[in-house]
Amino acid sequence: MSDEQTKLIQEAVAKALAGNMDMINNIEDRVTRSKAKAALVKAKREAKKGAATSEETPSEEIVQAESPPEKSLNQKVAEAIEKKFPASLAGDDVDGHIQLTGANWFEIAHYLKDNPDFLFDSLQCVTGFDLGIENDLEVRYNLHSMTHNHTIEIRIQTDRKNPKIPSVEQVWRIGDWFERETYDMYGIIFEGHRNMTRILLPDDWEGWPLRKDYETQETYHGIVVQKVKDGWE
Amino acid sequence: MTIDQLMNWIPFGADWPALAFFAAVLVCALTVFLFIAVYALMAIYGEVKISSFMQDKVGPMGQGVGFHAGKWGLLQPVADAVKLILKEDIIPTLADKKLFIMAPFVVFIGAFISFAALPFNQHTVVSDLNIGIFYILAVGSLSVIGIILAGWGSNNKWSLYGGMRSAAQIVSYEIPAALSIITVIMLTGTLSMQGIIEFQKGTIWVILPNWIIFNNPFSFIAFFIFFISGVAECNRTPFDIPEAESELVAGAFTEYSGMRYAFFFLSEYAEMFVISAVATTAFLGGWNSPISGFFDGPGWGLFWFMGKSLFLVFVMLWFRWTFPRLRVDQLMSICWKVFLPFALVNIFGVAIWSLIIG
Amino acid sequence: MGIVHGDLMTLNIGPQHPSTHGVLRLKVKTDGEIIADVEPVIGYLHRCFEKHCENVTYDQVIPYTDRCDYIAAMNNNFGYAVAVEELMDLKVPERVEYIRVIVSELNRIASHLLALGTFGLDVGAFTPFLYMFRDRERILDLFEVLCGARLLYNYIWVGGLSHDFPNGFEEKIIDFLDYFEPQLDEYNNILTFNKIFIERTADVGVMPAEVAISYGVSGPNLRGSGVKWDLRKDDPYSIYDKFDFNIPVGTGTVGTIGDCWDRYYVRMLEMSESINIVRQAIKALPSGDVHQALPKKIRPPKGSVYKRTESPRGDLGYYIESDGSPIPYRLKMRSPAFTALSVMGEISSGWMMSDVLAILGSLDIVLGEIDR
Repeated sequence: MSDEQTKLIQEAVAKALAGNMDMINNIEDRVTRSKAKAALVKAKREAKKGAATSEETPSEEIVQAESPPEKSLNQKVAEAIEKKFPASLAGDDVDGHIQLTGANWFEIAHYLKDNPDFLFDSLQCVTGFDLGIENDLEVRYNLHSMTHNHTIEIRIQTDRKNPKIPSVEQVWRIGDWFERETYDMYGIIFEGHRNMTRILLPDDWEGWPLRKDYETQETYHGIVVQKVKDGWE
Repeated sequence: MTIDQLMNWIPFGADWPALAFFAAVLVCALTVFLFIAVYALMAIYGEVKISSFMQDKVGPMGQGVGFHAGKWGLLQPVADAVKLILKEDIIPTLADKKLFIMAPFVVFIGAFISFAALPFNQHTVVSDLNIGIFYILAVGSLSVIGIILAGWGSNNKWSLYGGMRSAAQIVSYEIPAALSIITVIMLTGTLSMQGIIEFQKGTIWVILPNWIIFNNPFSFIAFFIFFISGVAECNRTPFDIPEAESELVAGAFTEYSGMRYAFFFLSEYAEMFVISAVATTAFLGGWNSPISGFFDGPGWGLFWFMGKSLFLVFVMLWFRWTFPRLRVDQLMSICWKVFLPFALVNIFGVAIWSLIIG
Repeated sequence: MGIVHGDLMTLNIGPQHPSTHGVLRLKVKTDGEIIADVEPVIGYLHRCFEKHCENVTYDQVIPYTDRCDYIAAMNNNFGYAVAVEELMDLKVPERVEYIRVIVSELNRIASHLLALGTFGLDVGAFTPFLYMFRDRERILDLFEVLCGARLLYNYIWVGGLSHDFPNGFEEKIIDFLDYFEPQLDEYNNILTFNKIFIERTADVGVMPAEVAISYGVSGPNLRGSGVKWDLRKDDPYSIYDKFDFNIPVGTGTVGTIGDCWDRYYVRMLEMSESINIVRQAIKALPSGDVHQALPKKIRPPKGSVYKRTESPRGDLGYYIESDGSPIPYRLKMRSPAFTALSVMGEISSGWMMSDVLAILGSLDIVLGEIDR
């Protein structure tokens, strides 16, 4: 990079930090412009870091000074579950999601759907999840309430060797297909599901494709399955 | 040109009447077949082009020389015909071969022999039967047997559906159609096609031509009942549930290909023409000129007859490209709950009208 | 409907059939013309979308999202970009937001046109289909001018867009809207209020609101059942809170709330709302840059996000888990058509053969999105 360019970039970044983006946008050479923008991001990040360290202490004080914060929805749901179904919470940390053990999940689901405070009448999404080759499998449920317009995420872990989770197909009817899809991809068996078969893949497919340790079968109906070459990303 | 006239022209007619009769029939049959083939090609072209204009597109087009559809796509029907003739003829392994092969011909015969009684002008009619209109109604129902054969013989569930629907539909709609024709017969007092047309000469209500459609309010309604029932008998949209390409793939014709399929196609168009021609004859004055006393004569007669019939064919095409399709039960309820009572009331209405006014 | 429980005939509609909207198979048990049971069999178009996503970088996922719902690719790109941006806590320039809204609303119109046209085709009306395709073609032409592609745009990127609007593109859009607005009346005349069309669709395939919610049905199908739920209003993402528009819901004008006609008509009304939004957005379109400064390889911080957006077919959700690397650890797409198809068995038994295809058409499914 020539000195001229460096100088130009520095100048432009300085102006941009002051709020004037025109100079950066007006740089004619594309390469220089992108470099300038990268430099700007870097500068902004550093500025933020500096600001954060300097302001950390006072902001904490402010939070403490206020009245005890209102309970978040997740806390409320977790407390309700703990009260009604003791020992079914699998973790105390309820920021972002609620971790359940899987016991009583069908009853809990019914409770969450019918409880007038929550009314989670819509199961938005069921995501199968592989926590790593050595670890367990997990299923994540995104629930939503049409009435209250709030959402929560519930996670249930299950053993990799013998993955079993109670089915909620009869609570939310869409669970039928979502659970079949999760079974199809992860081999998690949903107990109580009335039609636990593969949905997207053919019935005679081998293995659970979205597990991290999945290996492609060698032949399928006599057709050799091509292996993915090494080094492909 | 009745068969009798033709027989008189044949030189050996007096010596071998049977032979002359067969020769005459053969000539007429070939003429009619040729007419159907040419008309079907025109109708296919017409359908393609008319639908294109209705749908804001140009349809088949061609420019310059080479293998394409010719000027304005005029050669498109020829290309279609060649394609259908050259196509592989597939008969499914598990089909009932005899019935499968027979079906297209049975359907075609039903449409084909109806032409025997159609009066194209004052003289041109293959055979002016004294029960002409009755004959056409009777042989018109032959095609339903063919469609059932096709549906059953194909050994395909879609075909079976199509066949059964078609049977129910055609048989049902024949009743209101026949009842509407009865009103005409009551007015004219004859079953002969030429006789019915002769009745409609002159004027009525001062300026209107003396056509049966204008004769009285009941026959006015009867025309619409007959025509709509006719559309249903031809299995055209909005009554095309036996084919219903978005439901039954192609209904009774699903398994057919090549020339066999073309025969179904041909008979559909032929049947459209027959229905239009019967409606023209029975209600629109046949070969009579709309302005009484002007444009008469055999040439004009042919023109008026073809013009009126083809206009009704055009209306059928128009229906097809405008309306969605009815459902089976709705189709049946229209027939039995609307058309049939109206047709019956019409008969009484016409009877009373003729007693009081006529 | 009295179903006689004698021997039922099993009929396979598809995978090759004129009106299955792709490669779908419906295993139908019929008693004559009356349907006893419908079981959709899917997976014929499965292309391992989620497995692919675990092997490519965040940017490279976008062309795959195009290919999921190929009828409304812009909305799919949009949903994905919004989800990743939420994961990264990224704010995009204002011009980008406006352009995103404009193109995805145009794509919504195009998608609805296709849905309504093929629905007409399913009930036997051929001509409206061609009218709607003629107008859809104009939108595709606009998109071709915009990004060179007619169906799979790869236009909305994480943090920005692939290109800015070309010169004079706003006028082109306005011209199109001026042309298109009167066309809606034409569709209404030829199809919506056609007596036969109403006979065929009103009171048919009624989906009560509870059933719809329990089956996770969303978008126009849910609104057709009378539930006023639209993520653009109820959980606004991007800049949808800045626009003034209505959410049409099914009212049972000609039949029962939640019948096929309502689902159809909601889409018809939504098109004029989309026109309205595009007009507002073009009027307020700010100038500026369309690229957010981002590194070559996006590395969102560790964590997960579930973000829903309103695609033409309903709530399109992306669940993304990042482990801090440039490749998504897990990406799940919650497709609205998947949930819409699952309700098929529930609402179509007891109806007639022809109704099943009308109901299927009214649900507006795209198999690419169902099978992924």
